[in-house]
Amino acid sequence: MADRDLVRITGTHAVSALGRGADALLAGVLTGAPAFNPVRRFDTTGRRVTVAATLPETGTLADELTDAIDHVVRVAGLGAADRAGAALFLATHGGPPSLPVPDRAPEPTVPALADHLASRCGLGGRTRVYTTACVSASTAVADAAALIRRGDLERVVVAAGYLVEPDQFALFDAGRALAADGAVRPFSAGRTGLLLGDGVAAVVLESADVAARRGAETVATVAGWGRAGDAYHPCQPHPGGDGLARAVEAALRRAGLPLGAVGYVNANATGTAFSDASEAAALRRVFGERAGRFPVSSTKSVHGHALEASGLLELVVTVLALRDGTLPPTAGWLAADPDCPLDVIRDAPRPAASGHALTLNAAFGGANTALLVSAP
Amino acid sequence: MLAEARWPEDGDGRAPALPGFVHSEFAPLVAAVAERCLARRYGSGPLPAGNRTAVLVVSASGDTAGAAHVRATVAAGGRVGPLFFFQSVPNSVAGHVAARWGLDGPVVCLSPTGDPRAEAEAEAELLRHDGDAAQALLILIELAPDGTPGEATAVLLGEGTRQ
Repeated sequence: MADRDLVRITGTHAVSALGRGADALLAGVLTGAPAFNPVRRFDTTGRRVTVAATLPETGTLADELTDAIDHVVRVAGLGAADRAGAALFLATHGGPPSLPVPDRAPEPTVPALADHLASRCGLGGRTRVYTTACVSASTAVADAAALIRRGDLERVVVAAGYLVEPDQFALFDAGRALAADGAVRPFSAGRTGLLLGDGVAAVVLESADVAARRGAETVATVAGWGRAGDAYHPCQPHPGGDGLARAVEAALRRAGLPLGAVGYVNANATGTAFSDASEAAALRRVFGERAGRFPVSSTKSVHGHALEASGLLELVVTVLALRDGTLPPTAGWLAADPDCPLDVIRDAPRPAASGHALTLNAAFGGANTALLVSAP
Repeated sequence: MLAEARWPEDGDGRAPALPGFVHSEFAPLVAAVAERCLARRYGSGPLPAGNRTAVLVVSASGDTAGAAHVRATVAAGGRVGPLFFFQSVPNSVAGHVAARWGLDGPVVCLSPTGDPRAEAEAEAELLRHDGDAAQALLILIELAPDGTPGEATAVLLGEGTRQ
């Protein structure tokens, strides 16, 4: 068995504005219809932008994460004994608990949240909490895969959550990061920024041996991963995509796959002018002219930016798209941008021509990740 | 271990203000302790490209002062200043340190569920074993709950990339 086949995804679950469940997420992104609406969860009076992609009737973040973990372990077919040895890697915003929180029901602090979730869901292995902004979840997956491939762990549940709340919304609004025209337009001319979206997701990662021993179905393999920094700026990405390019190269190297194997990229592209151009530059640097010949999309244009959870939500999109054989489109397209010379899927889904795909994420601090996943 | 530093050490007052970061001691403390640690190993820096030095920021409570200010302002119906957006995650000051010193390894922030130093060292060991990092700068930081300045420790671990 090749190294790239050693880490299996055996369960996925997601909650977003597109609905509850991984199937709702896939169906929603394949329509290409943006889920942004006026925010009703809290008061947006005085904000420049007043829309986001939110799911009505959500619970607290702790309750939604508990439900997601319970759901994914059932989907993966894990019994109580299987859960008892499983680690939990959690990706969420650091600091005080995120809203929405009922006034009389204090949420656990972030470090306590992981133990709280593990206890409620019967996961008895180690816990770890990632607060690395928008690469929190993808870093957690990379670390989990590395620990499984090395033989340190057999099974890890990776969970991530962000529910649109007033504090981050106000911060993104104040930073003029939100799309003033109410639409996310990744890689397109005329893009004006990102929009926030709910995202709570969970996946089960297992070693191939353990998954085979219990006869678990493989949704996808995590064939490669990479993490690298730009060393450029506290908040802006390197204009040439330096760190992201090195993350992609590391993922390809670990997977032992040639450039031509990659048949789809689920891009980080937030719809932000300089950030999308930086990502396009990274892909050009790694793939050269080939970068314009494989399909790319950013489903943030449909489900919004789920911040710390975005890497896991988009991983679920990517593996389900590969399994379905259909690649999701990018919404919001106006016209080509010469700084983003990529084959952006727009208007309608496309059939997948390869079983290997990259999902990319980038964050403040010049943090970059690449996950390379393969259909079973 | 290649170098270690703390803030405060003997004679230290508050960490120096850090341009672009406001209201909270969190980012100044991280920057000051990182500067002291890296200077002990590398003088004035920066390191040459390709050093693959990871920056790991480990904090259980995070920037409580900044978050409390944002929450109070928003709850009162006010507008937060744009600088609070740029410092709203620990990545930002990690990126400041990485840019200042040319540290081009992964940036990872953890909220420890156990012993902070042990978790930081375990993450550094994994990144080095995996190959994404050759060495790692660990920064352990907690603000004091009563508003007095907090404490930070920085540790440089690895094979000793030469300047």
